[in-house]
Amino acid sequence: MNRYLLVALIFLAGVLGGCAAGEHDPRTGGFFGGIGGLGSGGYEKRMKEREASLEQLRTTQRALNIEKDQLEQQQSAAYVRLESDRARASIMQSEIALLDKKTKALATQQGTDQQRLAKLQQRLTALKGQMGRQSSALDALEGSGLGDADVDLRRKQLEKQRDALAREYELLMKMQLELSQ
Amino acid sequence: MKRCVVSGVFLLAVAVLLIGLQRVGQAAPPLPEIRQVLRQSALKPPAESALEGLRQHNLGEALRQIDPYARWYAADEYSSPESGGPDTWIGIGADLQERAEEIYLAVYAGGAADQAGLPDRCRLLAIDGESIAGLSMAAVAERLKGGEGGFVSLEVAQPDGHPGHFQIKRRAFTSLNVELVRAGGYRVLRIREFIAGLTRAALMASIPFTGNRGASAQNTEGLIIDLRDAGGGDLYEAFDVAGLFLPAGTILGSLQQRGGTPRLMQAPAGEIFTMPLVLLIGADTASAAEVFAGTLQQHGRARLIGRQTYGKCSSQTDIRLSDGSVLRYTNGEIFLPDGTSCSGLGLQPDREVTEAVFRDLNQLVFAAEAMFETNGQGPRPSAAFYP
Repeated sequence: MNRYLLVALIFLAGVLGGCAAGEHDPRTGGFFGGIGGLGSGGYEKRMKEREASLEQLRTTQRALNIEKDQLEQQQSAAYVRLESDRARASIMQSEIALLDKKTKALATQQGTDQQRLAKLQQRLTALKGQMGRQSSALDALEGSGLGDADVDLRRKQLEKQRDALAREYELLMKMQLELSQ
Repeated sequence: MKRCVVSGVFLLAVAVLLIGLQRVGQAAPPLPEIRQVLRQSALKPPAESALEGLRQHNLGEALRQIDPYARWYAADEYSSPESGGPDTWIGIGADLQERAEEIYLAVYAGGAADQAGLPDRCRLLAIDGESIAGLSMAAVAERLKGGEGGFVSLEVAQPDGHPGHFQIKRRAFTSLNVELVRAGGYRVLRIREFIAGLTRAALMASIPFTGNRGASAQNTEGLIIDLRDAGGGDLYEAFDVAGLFLPAGTILGSLQQRGGTPRLMQAPAGEIFTMPLVLLIGADTASAAEVFAGTLQQHGRARLIGRQTYGKCSSQTDIRLSDGSVLRYTNGEIFLPDGTSCSGLGLQPDREVTEAVFRDLNQLVFAAEAMFETNGQGPRPSAAFYP
């Protein structure tokens, strides 16, 4: 055998042997390493890894999109609730103003329990003020940006307070009816 | 010399005239009506000589001598928390508090100072690079004020003793009726005032936010309510809030008004919260807040931690006079469930802490958490309210 050919064969065997123990990553190892990687299935492995990684990113993206949609829906629902709250606050303000008017008319009638009437008027004045504050607070809520934890807390407080004020309004209505009879 | 004396007399006359004109500009208090209200309705009937001594020029001081909590407000000066406008203001979102000639900042949750990371109850050292040493509270307040969007730079000593520098942008702020404050991994609720018709509802709405498992879960681990800055408010609201933690029908206390028998207050039926409860109290915890804390303490329903409270178990009422001005006067004494009053005494905490711990909410909450283990177990008086 030609001496030069023998040397070349030994070198080639050495290169291929070295590749067999390597990572088979087509990105590394130069030309021969790349050829070795393609031949040993390393490229497919890497491709699969990248595809898996990509799929994971897509899954995360989908989850984020779902969360974003949910947040947008929540925000939209919050705005709808806000508008409804403002409308209710406005109706209650008108009703309280009417009740106040009726109570003042009652004050001119003979035989009305003046002490109870005074209490009713005092509480009505306070309730009017509180309803005004509710409306202002609802307006401020919109301006402060929804979604923040403190805003959520404020919203919950306002909702509960509105219900409590509505109950108090009902009680005052009854008290006014009793006084007028 | 003669000219000098004449000029002096002339200047004096002008000054007297100006003062007189100023007084004419101010509304004159309806003194006969004020005397009549106090004569008829004050908790302790004032001496007739004291009533006759009420004059426009000495009204404030003379009223205080009759009743330490009595005040007269001209129609345009008065605003009650119930009927006033929205409590929105522009600023750094903190109150000033003076203790032993030092000024501290009581920070509102969600306000500009809070958002800038300023811890609650920092000792104020300098504003915009200038020391506040020797300045009065009013002067300090004036330096903190400014237009919306403006910045103010504060040098402080933080509650843990470390120095701090904070740049705060002033902005419009509406405080929450019940604040949610995070301290030491815990969520604490803070009440500064008991507002008729609002505080109970706000507290009920806020309690679900204190659970460590999210806003929707019931907090069963324990609730901490910070009353250190609660100076009072509406007495009936305080009773209503106490009723949230006690079974319906439980005696909450009583109100003694002039000439009558004590009127018993009982817990109303409705939603009840059963989690362990610890209340943070201090020297500024007063009036309605003391009634709330004292009632729950006496029933063994809450443990108190902090410092002795102010000591005012009396109620005041605001009455509108014929000219639109308002007279505030004491119309009742409040008794806790065991029949005692806290007036002049204050409430004693179940666990007293040092002033340094009192000011540091993280340390205070850490100490409060340990009290949950013994909450409601102590031999507290719960019977024999009224013999």
